Amino acid sequence: MSEVGQREQLVTTEGMSQGTIIRKKFLQHKPAVAGLIFMIFFAIFVYTASGIHLGTNEAKFTIQGWWKYSHEDLLPTGSCLSGCPSPDHPFGQIANGRDYFALVMRGAEISLMVMVIIGSLGAFIGTVIGAVSGFFGGIVDAVMMRFTDFIITVPSILIGAVIGYNFGAQGVVTLAVFLGVFAWTGLARLVRGEFLSLREREFVDAARVAGASNARIIFKHILPNSVGVIIVSTTLLLSSSILTETGLSFLGFGVQAPDVSLGLLINQYQGDFTFAPWLFWWPGIIIILIALSINFVGDGLRDAFDPRQRKDVKRRKKARLEAQQSAAANQ
Amino acid sequence: MLTYVARRIAIALLILFGSTFLSYNLAAYSGDPLQAIRESTDPKKESIIAELTKTYQLDVPPPARYFLWLKGILGVLIGKPDFGISVSTRIPVIDSLALAIPATIRLVTAATILAIVVGITFGIISSIRQYSRLDYSLTFLAFVLFSLPIFWVAVLLKEYMAIGFNDFLAKPQIDLIWNVLMSFLPGLIIAGFIGGNRKRFLISWAASFAAFFVLFFFASATGWFRDPSIGIVGVAIIGVSTSLGLCHIFAGLQNKKALYAGLTSVAVGVGVYFPFNMIANGSANYMMIVGFAILVLVVSYFIGYFFTSIDRGPVITVSMLSAVFVALFTVLDRFMKSWKEYYVLTDGRPIQTMSAYNITLKSNDFWIVNLDIITHLILPTTALTLISFAGYLRYSRASVLEVLNMDYVRTARAKGIPEREVILRHALRNAMIPLTTLIAFDIAGIVGGAIITENVFGWRGMGSLAAEAIGAQDLNLLMATFSISAFLAVMATLAADVFYTILDPRIRIRG
Repeated sequence: MSEVGQREQLVTTEGMSQGTIIRKKFLQHKPAVAGLIFMIFFAIFVYTASGIHLGTNEAKFTIQGWWKYSHEDLLPTGSCLSGCPSPDHPFGQIANGRDYFALVMRGAEISLMVMVIIGSLGAFIGTVIGAVSGFFGGIVDAVMMRFTDFIITVPSILIGAVIGYNFGAQGVVTLAVFLGVFAWTGLARLVRGEFLSLREREFVDAARVAGASNARIIFKHILPNSVGVIIVSTTLLLSSSILTETGLSFLGFGVQAPDVSLGLLINQYQGDFTFAPWLFWWPGIIIILIALSINFVGDGLRDAFDPRQRKDVKRRKKARLEAQQSAAANQ
Repeated sequence: MLTYVARRIAIALLILFGSTFLSYNLAAYSGDPLQAIRESTDPKKESIIAELTKTYQLDVPPPARYFLWLKGILGVLIGKPDFGISVSTRIPVIDSLALAIPATIRLVTAATILAIVVGITFGIISSIRQYSRLDYSLTFLAFVLFSLPIFWVAVLLKEYMAIGFNDFLAKPQIDLIWNVLMSFLPGLIIAGFIGGNRKRFLISWAASFAAFFVLFFFASATGWFRDPSIGIVGVAIIGVSTSLGLCHIFAGLQNKKALYAGLTSVAVGVGVYFPFNMIANGSANYMMIVGFAILVLVVSYFIGYFFTSIDRGPVITVSMLSAVFVALFTVLDRFMKSWKEYYVLTDGRPIQTMSAYNITLKSNDFWIVNLDIITHLILPTTALTLISFAGYLRYSRASVLEVLNMDYVRTARAKGIPEREVILRHALRNAMIPLTTLIAFDIAGIVGGAIITENVFGWRGMGSLAAEAIGAQDLNLLMATFSISAFLAVMATLAADVFYTILDPRIRIRG
């Protein structure tokens, strides 16, 4: 091979940016890709099912969804007394005739929304507190970390229960915001650790020598380097917050009727298990599918951002097997 | 070290003060404990309100009332804590706590220990067999368990494990299809543990499948599930085979000293089978069981100790663990002897779905009473174990993998140390250090984690007290559960940090 050819090869391998490497590694992680695709389609599926209903009764703004019933429609019950599934009502009906598919879709809608609000609030507050604490260190760090410890001492489900019980009736968004305000502790600790190690690195010194302000160093230099930690723990926060919300709603402290949540549905119909098990199965399966796919996406992202992660697992395994076989043959 | 601990305790107390102050005010301002009475039509309601306001000092604003409450709590220093009186039940909070705390401890202890032991064992195996089918399946299982809502699992467990098993006991015959399915799975897991190439995998799978199939077939044919027993022969067979397995794992079968020490432990254990069964009649008590346990540990330690004078560690491990297994199966066998009677006492529905124990149980027999406690524990323990098992599995796997990639492990291998010792003596010790943090967090979250489980299974523990207190706006009750759980959290974190520095000499503390 000529020298020019070699150099060209070098250039093409060097050309991969950090983002490209991460994207490629992520796309190699099949469960994660499957999880991501599922989440996107599922969110679209859920949010278009009932359409958009805004405003009060006087000034209603409605876009009809693709599913024919709304979760509030009182429909005639079919021939089956326990409201068993039929082509018209794929998930069956509950006692007063409401279509369970519409209810589950509405519950999934609310649970997803709560999850996103908790996740983004938690991620935002956690990142800010962790970044400030890790970057400035010293007394700021000590105070902020003691504050974090202090929030950690109170179990989140207890906070959630107090908040949910008192603010649950004021609507789902209020509940989600309050839960999000307490959900940042784990993330703050991780981001702090990342900032503590990154601020000692040469590129930060270089930026400071060049005259960059603290804000610029934080936002332009350190934050992009700790984005991996933030994204991965945000996905984990998302999957744990859907479990928190459904758990609280199950206990009766989260989303309150007439709002619907997947946890609330399970609580309401667990007693009907013997004669209408589908009322119990569907919301649970949907919670698991959401949490599972987010966990897989998180795992894929972790692998993608982790520079130590080997990407050629299959090749290594094959090589190891071949070596074993040849060793066996030699004996 | 002492100054470090003292400083940490001081900070912990400050944090406790802050968090209880915040939650006290949060809870006090969030609801009105007198609401129910205010809305009532009782003609004497004014006087009731006045009286309650006086008893609970509701006229004092919450920030100040907090200090009155704190004064009561600080009575713990002189051994007389005062948690106040519950608004909803009108009894002192401390009385409710005295009933609730033992229930919660019983609920979480077994589950936590099981999750730690099983989770770490599977995690280690998963990391040693990295990228094998077993590893992939365990990883997938962990993700599924991470995503499970515990309240949903609990209802399913009630439905299938309890009601299904109880129905099965009415006619304890396993049909052929179920037998094949039930033998299929453990065979797969065992074969995955053993590993090796495809041929070896299939052989071990087939062997364990056949063993389980025959076992289930005989159990079904003889009505074993209704009147189970292991018997001295069964204990001996199980003892010898576990001892061989333990010897293979911890010392290697070529280590004759370990092999003989383990088998001696088993022989001694089988020797005390009849004496134990004679002493352990219906009037046995807990002291006896504790004494028995200590005796087992001491005797087996000395068996291992006297079998060899060089490299005692693995030999003692094998002899002690063998003895523990034989003792466990002996006790299990003793419980099985009471199973038939318990089955009749519960009208043929022995696996319980609600509450912590059967109040109407008509028996004072030690074994039956404990069997009752165990059958009530099975479902919540399974649910809690399933949920926290995944965390230990993933964490220990990652931790062992990280250590196995370190240079000193490579050095150990290069020196020619057998793989068993590289893993047991070099890798595992360092890999287990980070787990102290996880265990501490688990302990810190006990009250929070118990809320849902206690709710679903109808236990009267700390979690259900907290839930009840929130529902009834019962400030004193709520604050009692809050402060105990905050105290646990602070102390667990502190203990984790201290243990960490003791276990890991690389961490130095500046006083």
